[in-house]
Amino acid sequence: MRLSDRVTGSFVATLGVLATYGGSQFPPVPGQDVGPSVFPMVIGIGLILCGLMIALGIGHSYEDEAEADLAAVQGPSQQAEPASPLGSRLWALLPPGLLLFYVYAVDRIGFVPTAALMIFASALAFGARLRVALPLAALAPIAIHLIFYKLLRVPLPPGLLPMPW
Amino acid sequence: MNELLEAFRLVLAPDVLIAILLSSIYGLVVGSLPGLSATMATALLVPVTFYLSPIAAVASIIAASAMAIFSGDIPGCLLRIPGTPASAAYTDEAYAMTRNGQAEVALGAGLWFSALGGIAGTISLVVMAPVLAELALNFSTYEYFWLAFLGLMCATLVARSSPVKAIASMLIGLLVACIGMENPGGVPRFTFGVAELLGGIEPIPALVGVFAVSEVIRAIVSPEPPPLPARKFGRILAGQLALTRKYWRQMTRGNVVGIIIGVLPGAGADMAAWVSYAMSKRFSREPKKFGTGHPEGLVEAGASNNASLASGWVPALLFGIPGDTITAIAIGVLYMKGLNPGPTLFTERASSMYALYIIFILANIIMIPLGIMMIRAASSILRAPRAAIMPVILVCCAVGAFATGNNLFAVILVAVFGIIGYVMENNGFPVAAMVLGIVMGTMVEQSFVTSLIKSDGSLLPFFERPVSAVLAAMTISALLWPAFIWSWRRFRLRRQEHAL
Repeated sequence: MRLSDRVTGSFVATLGVLATYGGSQFPPVPGQDVGPSVFPMVIGIGLILCGLMIALGIGHSYEDEAEADLAAVQGPSQQAEPASPLGSRLWALLPPGLLLFYVYAVDRIGFVPTAALMIFASALAFGARLRVALPLAALAPIAIHLIFYKLLRVPLPPGLLPMPW
Repeated sequence: MNELLEAFRLVLAPDVLIAILLSSIYGLVVGSLPGLSATMATALLVPVTFYLSPIAAVASIIAASAMAIFSGDIPGCLLRIPGTPASAAYTDEAYAMTRNGQAEVALGAGLWFSALGGIAGTISLVVMAPVLAELALNFSTYEYFWLAFLGLMCATLVARSSPVKAIASMLIGLLVACIGMENPGGVPRFTFGVAELLGGIEPIPALVGVFAVSEVIRAIVSPEPPPLPARKFGRILAGQLALTRKYWRQMTRGNVVGIIIGVLPGAGADMAAWVSYAMSKRFSREPKKFGTGHPEGLVEAGASNNASLASGWVPALLFGIPGDTITAIAIGVLYMKGLNPGPTLFTERASSMYALYIIFILANIIMIPLGIMMIRAASSILRAPRAAIMPVILVCCAVGAFATGNNLFAVILVAVFGIIGYVMENNGFPVAAMVLGIVMGTMVEQSFVTSLIKSDGSLLPFFERPVSAVLAAMTISALLWPAFIWSWRRFRLRRQEHAL
């Protein structure tokens, strides 16, 4: 997702305004001039300045240079955008979505089933064949469970499928 | 002397040796996979270190990061895809050598000069640390404020992006660090009524999200890299001694530059490699050969990035200020393990310090045999399908973040920072600067506010003490440097136009 400098700059500046305003609302420490509101306000003002400069395109020449350097190393083929921008943008939401699924499901159905579903879904999204995705989804969660639960003693919820160890 | 013996005893404990060996293999494998950086390898290692003894925990981080930086050279050399950003500077050169049929020389040079560079960096750590510790004992909050600020400014300077965007990322990181109750007034800030945010945002979930999840996202929207053709390698270290003799000047220069960049808070291995490669080309007698498979730049940059790795620990150990993103993670582990960074580490925990030196040397020595094995195994490891690795990494991100506090909120943070990291990186905002902002935010604010309270709101004392004046001058010049470069270029361009 590539946005124009104007968009990202205004976003940064807005964030700065919010931080400055939010910072100014914090109650002061009695008897002190300097309290919890100073630091967020300094940051907020900095963000406003940076946001404006980004929106105006100041410093953009550095980026072009760095990109040219990197393109020289990696070759232009790596930079090629996928064919359907909207489709690829939706794919980008899959990994964070699966993490949220983990948060939702792990206490309900347990670690091993949740992880198996996550791995299966993301392996298919990466274009794995069923021949690879199914055994991976069956075995990898058990191996991860063994390492984290048994060796590192992380309390992973057993849920529907408790492991024998 | 007793402390040195004690240090050897600490390092030679079986759990430490096993931790070094396993994390070395882990670092080699992860570093060699394109897209998985040394920082990510270290971040995913943190939950594991919770359950190790202090020395074993630090040892595993040192070993894994050193190996990952070297093994990033492998796919760069064979596939023209850098395994870690620190190898990107000389990927082209190494790949050109492979095409000329000199893959062994290129990989061997990467390995040999990485190991030598790592040892040089360690020596610098041994020499510099006690001297700086003495100095650091006299530091007050003013100096700490400038040091932390200097680190943040260096992180923005070295980002290969627009300096304005880098500063913006750094400020966003500082703003994230404001969240929670840990501030001078003890007031909940920017928590929006979410109870989990009262404790603030831990750096580890943010790191895992920004460096690992965003990498998974990037992989899912980009085409799979080409598979590596199977190949047999000849003798890997053959000819490296001759190269060392021929290019010892370049090697030393690379080591020194790497050490200096590493010591600067905020600047790490990526930058060391870029600067050293450019320097090598600049000072070479045969600059025309660069880019066509000439080992000179490879020697210098390879020597540089591993040297910076060890010297990056100097500010981390002495001031608690990370030299780069890897030491930013390491500082968290040090605190967790009761080895609080600071000058007193030398007086109170001298044996631990010596143990750390020994681990660095040991890791760089075993890098050579393990690296040779890794190079020979590379063609089969690099053939592992991305569709099998990335899903497992995603689950490890979830479990790893959960393990940092047995709290599912951390997993949500990982998802959120994954998106933030992906969007920022795609728009030219360097995420490393944001991460350093998050890690150092509390410290910057504390030293800033305490100093302001001490000085009754006056800014003058920030510049009055000699050391703080020097640090202030360095920080401000780091801030103004991009503007200076820009106007200098304009000036030169105009002169050229006039000449025409």
